[in-house]
Amino acid sequence: MTEHEHYEAVVVGAGPGGAAAAATLAQHGVETLVLERGADAGSKNVSGGLIYAEESAPYTIDQLFPGFREGAAERPVDEYYIHNIAGEKVETFDLHDIHHHDTEWCDAVLRRKMDSWLAERVHEMTRETGGGLLTGVRANGLLREGGKIVGVTFDELDPITADVIIAADGVNSELARDAGLMDWEEPEDWFQGVKAVVDMPPEAINERFDVADDEGVAHLFSGDLFEGVRGGGFLYTNEDSLSIGTVFHLDSLSVERAEPHELLDSLLTHPLLAQWFQGEYHEREYAAKLVPDSKKVAHPSPHRGRLLLVGDAAGQMQAQGPIIKGMNHAVTAGGLAAEAFAEAKSRGNEEAAGTLYQQKLESEGVMDQLRPTRYRATRFLSESDAVNSIGSSLLDSAVGTAGIKLFDGLLEKSFNSPFVLGMIPDTKLSYVTVPTRIAEVLGDPVYDENDVEPPALDDRIGDLTYDVDDPHIEVLDNSFEASGTAVTACPVSAKDFGGGCYREETVETNGHEEKKVSLDTQPCVECGTCAVVADTHWEHPSGGKGVEFKQG
Amino acid sequence: MPEIDPTEHDIAELGPKIKDIDDEQELEEMLAMEKGGEGRAPVITLIEDRLEKVGGEDEDADPSEADLTDMTIADIANMIRDVEDIEVLRDILEREKEGKDRKGAKSQLEKKINNLEEDDEDREEVEYVPPEEKHPDLKHPTADKLYVEGTVDGEYRDMWVYCETQQGELLDVSREMLGKTRELMDGYNDDYDEDEDVIAVLIGDGVDDLTEECLAYGADRVVYHDDEQLTRFQHAPYTEIFCHMCRDWEADWRDYHEPRYTVFPATNNGRDLSALVQGELDSGLASDCSGLYIESADISNPAKTGRPGETKTFEKILHMKRPDFSGFEYSTILCIDKPHRDFHPQGASVIPGSFEIPEAEPEPEGEVVEHDLDLPEEWFQTTVTEYDQLDEGVDLTGHDVIVAMGRGIDRVDPTKGIELGLELTDQFEDAGFGLSRGVITASYEFGGHVEQYITEERQIGESGQVVEPELYIAAGISGAVQHKVGMDESDTIVAINTDPEADIRDFSDYFIEGDLFEVLPRLTEALAEGKLGAAIAEASDD
Ligand SMILES: Cc1cc2nc3c(=O)[nH]c(=O)nc-3n(C[C@H](O)[C@H](O)[C@H](O)COP(=O)(O)OP(=O)(O)OC[C@H]3O[C@@H](n4cnc5c(N)ncnc54)[C@H](O)[C@@H]3O)c2cc1C
Ligand SMILES: Cc1cc2nc3c(=O)[nH]c(=O)nc-3n(C[C@H](O)[C@H](O)[C@H](O)COP(=O)(O)OP(=O)(O)OC[C@H]3O[C@@H](n4cnc5c(N)ncnc54)[C@H](O)[C@@H]3O)c2cc1C
Ligand code: SF4
Repeated sequence: MTEHEHYEAVVVGAGPGGAAAAATLAQHGVETLVLERGADAGSKNVSGGLIYAEESAPYTIDQLFPGFREGAAERPVDEYYIHNIAGEKVETFDLHDIHHHDTEWCDAVLRRKMDSWLAERVHEMTRETGGGLLTGVRANGLLREGGKIVGVTFDELDPITADVIIAADGVNSELARDAGLMDWEEPEDWFQGVKAVVDMPPEAINERFDVADDEGVAHLFSGDLFEGVRGGGFLYTNEDSLSIGTVFHLDSLSVERAEPHELLDSLLTHPLLAQWFQGEYHEREYAAKLVPDSKKVAHPSPHRGRLLLVGDAAGQMQAQGPIIKGMNHAVTAGGLAAEAFAEAKSRGNEEAAGTLYQQKLESEGVMDQLRPTRYRATRFLSESDAVNSIGSSLLDSAVGTAGIKLFDGLLEKSFNSPFVLGMIPDTKLSYVTVPTRIAEVLGDPVYDENDVEPPALDDRIGDLTYDVDDPHIEVLDNSFEASGTAVTACPVSAKDFGGGCYREETVETNGHEEKKVSLDTQPCVECGTCAVVADTHWEHPSGGKGVEFKQG
Repeated sequence: MPEIDPTEHDIAELGPKIKDIDDEQELEEMLAMEKGGEGRAPVITLIEDRLEKVGGEDEDADPSEADLTDMTIADIANMIRDVEDIEVLRDILEREKEGKDRKGAKSQLEKKINNLEEDDEDREEVEYVPPEEKHPDLKHPTADKLYVEGTVDGEYRDMWVYCETQQGELLDVSREMLGKTRELMDGYNDDYDEDEDVIAVLIGDGVDDLTEECLAYGADRVVYHDDEQLTRFQHAPYTEIFCHMCRDWEADWRDYHEPRYTVFPATNNGRDLSALVQGELDSGLASDCSGLYIESADISNPAKTGRPGETKTFEKILHMKRPDFSGFEYSTILCIDKPHRDFHPQGASVIPGSFEIPEAEPEPEGEVVEHDLDLPEEWFQTTVTEYDQLDEGVDLTGHDVIVAMGRGIDRVDPTKGIELGLELTDQFEDAGFGLSRGVITASYEFGGHVEQYITEERQIGESGQVVEPELYIAAGISGAVQHKVGMDESDTIVAINTDPEADIRDFSDYFIEGDLFEVLPRLTEALAEGKLGAAIAEASDD
């Protein structure tokens, strides 16, 4: 047996899940080492950015990290609206009730600032235990002895063994994949989130959104502005910028061969947004990342041996209708995993940590939030095409229209019900058709003119910071059939664009023409999309390499 | 009644339990119970220890500020038990005199002061026993070293820098070290009102060409040994030569025993040399440092001061900062003389990239000294029979002309496109052939004869090479910023592109809107006839 450096606990990833786990471990006096692949914590991370503290949650971020809201967050978000859009007609619902349901507070965040703030504290706390936090280190697999997981291997360091390994390495978790707990096969298991951070001076935000210095607002968008792709848009106010983005079902995005950056542009240039931009648009950063859909992939038993998965790595990302809750669940799971280990250790049975963690997820009600039984019951019925088309024709009929008119108030109410949202099926009906019909029937037209010009894709890439390295993604099958979807679905690639990651090429071989794709990983923003939609061998770049987000 | 009756428990059980008891009263009672019972000695000690700890906690008063009027004589006696500073004790005594003026208290204090004063006088130097006598059981490899004897209170001067070279050029780290040591020695000369130098050491074949450069980067003097046998770094001759330089008492430019400081690069060869040289010079080495500064240091280690309990200030100490293995912390390493043995030169090896490369002085002044020594054959018993040079690759800088091809070549046939580019390149006397990244990462299948050209070594741009030729011809390249930064300093840029809106148009001098498969052959032809200028001007839209 080779001697490896050993820690009681190793945490991979310093996002909210890893930070919460490490802080809780440190509080229990567990010797903890945290490893993060970004050159700085947060430099790899993207989120929409509303972080919730739920009243019922056993762990919240500000409870683990006092001063979080003042030090790491942007504006508190109190108001919450959804706009149903049909062409230029818009019907707005106030989602105040669902937003405040079980919510202690909710703040907008930018991940670079948030995660690096957390990392400083995590480093202080874990150092006390004899560990610490190291950035620029990428875990590349699990270390096994006699078939059992005993540690983690890295690009930059010798393998390290631990009594517990907490994989908080986010979506596309290489450790979860190595353990055989997650695969990246089905597009329907994921969303793709794309986002722009847009400059806006604080005074302008206050005035245009009618908020005070320490107030903020959230706007959601759904309807027919996304070419029929299932999903929606969001706009959140930060201190001196806006986070505007889209979240789409990856299967829908793939099938429709939609270009994510164009869908984002449809939102940015919609007349409804003119009132806020007032003709000015300066984009600070373009970013993207996959988002797991907990309803489908939240792992019911997210552990194997000494390995415990938390947060996106375990698929614990809850889309409650239009409300996206990933960061808060990652915090809760991180806390519970740590607590489970500390408890197992005090009983002298560290092996039990995984089972205890799973029990805690269930007894604290986390699992039921992530995978509601109601959803499982309704899904198969309503996601089938038959139901879909019956639904659509019903909506189009006179009865449907009358119904919508009649139930105006009721509709707004049902959007505000966590129970109803929990069972909304993922069909075009609920994402596109219903909101569009609502707007058509109830909406008022917007007459503003929105003439902002979002940057072209090559400029968006050009504005990002990269530390390029050898390719971290390999296309295994470069035929168009196998991997062509990535040309459109990759947020930094597009049809007829030579400067992206995936490019469609016509190659002549032995006299006949063939469509192929080629890949250059340099513009890659590491979103994970092509790991699912193309035939690739997909890894993250080595520590500190690749894209560096400044906002996140 | 205490919660725990010690007489009912084993000592093993009591240990952890007693730790949690904070009440003095309770402990006293337990002590009494144990004494009244079996009176087990370890249990009594355990309780007494805890009592002392608990009792001690609230007596933390600072002796120099404690209010004596509140204290009993016993309290005062207790308080001063650990006070070693005579000044503090005198101050307490004064305050007692002004205050309650208790005889008992004063005598306690006076007695303690007397004791300490005597102690001070008694404190003698530690007797020196040479290591050979002290540890006869150990080997003493330095015992028979010619120079070790007598290195006590030696004379040391100057900062010596080993300037490593590669392929007849200084490594960047050599320049970095010269810059840093220059700065250190300027500060040193100011602070200590001295006039000591930065000495650059060059060893190798053809290093005499580099002496001027060493002066330009900050050396006052260069000592070099140039010999064709020294083409490759080898342990024996390099170490021997370096050490001989350090102790070359014959040399007329110097009048000291050995260097005060030595600095080496923490490269593969530099690490080897630093360890061998510092060992041979019988001093220490702080390896892999990332920070250096010179300051005095207060040391109380009796091994260094010679008198226990005494703090001595050592001047002119090189502070060598190095990261520990985790990278979390730094240690600062000092190399300090002992009473009976000097540790000089104070030596460090420095991680490349730790310091900035300074601006080179255009007309440097300084002395250059050739080191004079015959190199005996036995230093060359090892010979290098084989070596591999890492491929240097294609260098596109320095050409008059660059012809670069982009993804526009796939419109007809990529192989043909490359051929056309190569043909054009051949027409110039001094031209290089470059590519956009778009071509290199494409899935095109090239014909065997042009495939060898499709390598990353020919990439121009942000993550490739940066070129500034007189003429840059870009065919089928869109002009992405990442490509632009690699070529837009070229004198004249000619772009050939079918798309009149292509970004490259914004920074081209001539823009030819057209299919490269037609335009390139025409340019090649015009060039063969010596009419390139005219052809470009005619075809260009700008
Ligand atoms: C556009 C978009 C909008 C979103 N909106 C919201 C929202 O409004 N509210 C909300 O709560 N959630 C939102 N989410 C989801 C949320 O961002 C995630 O659920 C959350 O970040 C998950 O936290 P985590 O700690 O599990 O993982 P992450 O935050 O992804 O952290 C994982 C960390 O691990 C590191 N890492 C990964 N692999 C390795 C490796 N091999 N070695 C070392 N380190 C590694 C990463 O660099 C990263 O720092 C959104 C996501 C997107 C993309
Ligand atoms: C971090 C990073 C680093 C990068 N580093 C580099 C780098 O160092 N160097 C580099 O080059 N790129 C680099 N890139 C890639 C860069 O962004 C572009 O993708 C690349 O330069 C595009 O190559 P291209 O101009 O050949 O292809 P395209 O952008 O596809 O352009 C092809 C052009 O050819 C024209 N064309 C088509 N047919 C014809 C024809 N028959 N005749 C004439 N013209 C025709 C088209 O109109 C088009 O303008 C980097 C990217 C990133 C993100
Ligand atoms: S190459 Fe793959 S991982 Fe990278 S940005 Fe495109 S889709 Fe995302």
